[in-house]
Amino acid sequence: MHKKTKDRLTDLFITLILFAVALLIIVPMVWITICAFRPQKELMQYPPQFFTSNFTLQNFTEIARRIKIWGYVKNSVVYCLASTIPSVFLNSLAGYAFARLSFKGKNVLFIMILATMMIPFQVIMVPLFLEVYKMGMYDTFAGLIVPNLGAAITVFMTRAAFSMLPRELEEAARIDGLSEFGIFGRIMLPLVKPTIVTVIVLGINGAWNDLMWPLLITSNTNMRTVTNGLAMFIDSSLQYGTAFAGAFISICPMFVLYIFGQKYFVEGTASSGLKG
Amino acid sequence: MVGKIKAFWNKPSHVAYLFVMPVVLLLIVFRILPMIAAFVCSFFDMDMFLVGKGFVGFDNFAEAFRDKRLWNGLWVTLKFTMVEVPLQMLIGLALAGLLTKNRLRNRFFRAVYFMPIVCSATAVAIMWRMFLHSNVGMMTYWLECIGIKGVNFLNTPGLTFYVIVFMSVWRSFGISTVIFLSAMQNVPRELYESAELDGCSKIRQFFSITLPLIKETIAFVLITRLIGSLQIFDLVLTTTEGGPNYSTETLVYYTYVRAFSNNRMGYGSAVSMFLFAIILVITVVFYARLYREEK
Repeated sequence: MHKKTKDRLTDLFITLILFAVALLIIVPMVWITICAFRPQKELMQYPPQFFTSNFTLQNFTEIARRIKIWGYVKNSVVYCLASTIPSVFLNSLAGYAFARLSFKGKNVLFIMILATMMIPFQVIMVPLFLEVYKMGMYDTFAGLIVPNLGAAITVFMTRAAFSMLPRELEEAARIDGLSEFGIFGRIMLPLVKPTIVTVIVLGINGAWNDLMWPLLITSNTNMRTVTNGLAMFIDSSLQYGTAFAGAFISICPMFVLYIFGQKYFVEGTASSGLKG
Repeated sequence: MVGKIKAFWNKPSHVAYLFVMPVVLLLIVFRILPMIAAFVCSFFDMDMFLVGKGFVGFDNFAEAFRDKRLWNGLWVTLKFTMVEVPLQMLIGLALAGLLTKNRLRNRFFRAVYFMPIVCSATAVAIMWRMFLHSNVGMMTYWLECIGIKGVNFLNTPGLTFYVIVFMSVWRSFGISTVIFLSAMQNVPRELYESAELDGCSKIRQFFSITLPLIKETIAFVLITRLIGSLQIFDLVLTTTEGGPNYSTETLVYYTYVRAFSNNRMGYGSAVSMFLFAIILVITVVFYARLYREEK
């Protein structure tokens, strides 16, 4: 009996610690959500209030008047989808070849791909910018997307998934007369769907939150993404209400993605960590 | 003829080249070539239109060694890494240890802790800039209520640096937690059961069983977090822009200022070589140890 009470107390104590850490995350997030819908003049008030009963969409109309926020959202969506879907396709094709096909130079090529994971983006950003600029892709979607299509981490993760599948699969498919590409697309790819969804989810999140590359490679305000457009905006004028509305717009889609794809976020993060 | 070509390319050992070629080409053109070009650029004086004095030998490096702002950036970056990485890893280990069991409570907290990771640096920056605002920030007001007056989180040299550290830990401790957690869940359960029979306390079990068994994962998180922290840029740009008084200006932010704001691509490349050297040393040391241990 005594031990049981002690265990309960320890458990309660742990819950309190966990709850305190959770508050550090939840409180600011709830606060900006409330503030995004709060009248501007209330935000300038002293002392600041956590809750309010006045809700308005004024901040959202105001930010849309000042910057092309919905255009930024559209650019972000294009950037996310157009960089993630083809990238996952090309990289998983390579991952498949490294996992299931034998060919000369396989190991050398694979090591070369792995080595590119070690290249810090911040070190190559200047020459990469110059290169893409010289290719005439400055301020274009191609410039935003094409340089990031090759992703060693995706090759790595899909290769691991493809090597888990049983050997007999492609033998049976070859006897049935399926082409090599058909074996990849019709048989193998559907079997590693969880991994594919994981890399798509992580890719979309990465592209949505990418600040550095869009900042460098676009200058026209019509080309800005949400993350980079907002960064430029809060830099020039920190209008409280509009900044909150902007942050809210920037977080919302990713939040929805997280609610539906939490499993994939967590699995992707954990497995990319474990395989190192 | 067409049939022949088709047959040739449908051989597994041939079609493999078609499968890997796009990615290999993309990585050569957009990763490996720029890496080589980064060395080359650092010996040139030029702007983004490639106009300038041209080849200048070691002039950029000579200037860099005399550049006080660069040494400051280097120091800020190293200090940031030395504070942020251990802090984040300790929090990650502790929380992962508390959350190992698959209970409803633990699943809920895991989901909450991972939330900041999906937010962009811009959103995180707006959130904390407003929350810590010197006049109307909620946090500043709460501190005033308990008698701590006049704290200016975002404009106090010495303090602002730690605000950036806090924001960085806040944003990404969920990553370390999740990675440690999945490593801890892979530790065989029998080990804990026999330790339990021997009367080992939970804390003792954590230090004597869990930690030694997830050593490799700890090493992996350490190296990736070190390399990641050394490249800190986005939070600095969106929160302080290096201020106040350059106290949060990291190496990458300084590279960005020189290369893109001042349009000195050659010098920017030379500055980024310092970052590259540090990361290279860390990587080589890490893999050399790993290699020795495997032997």
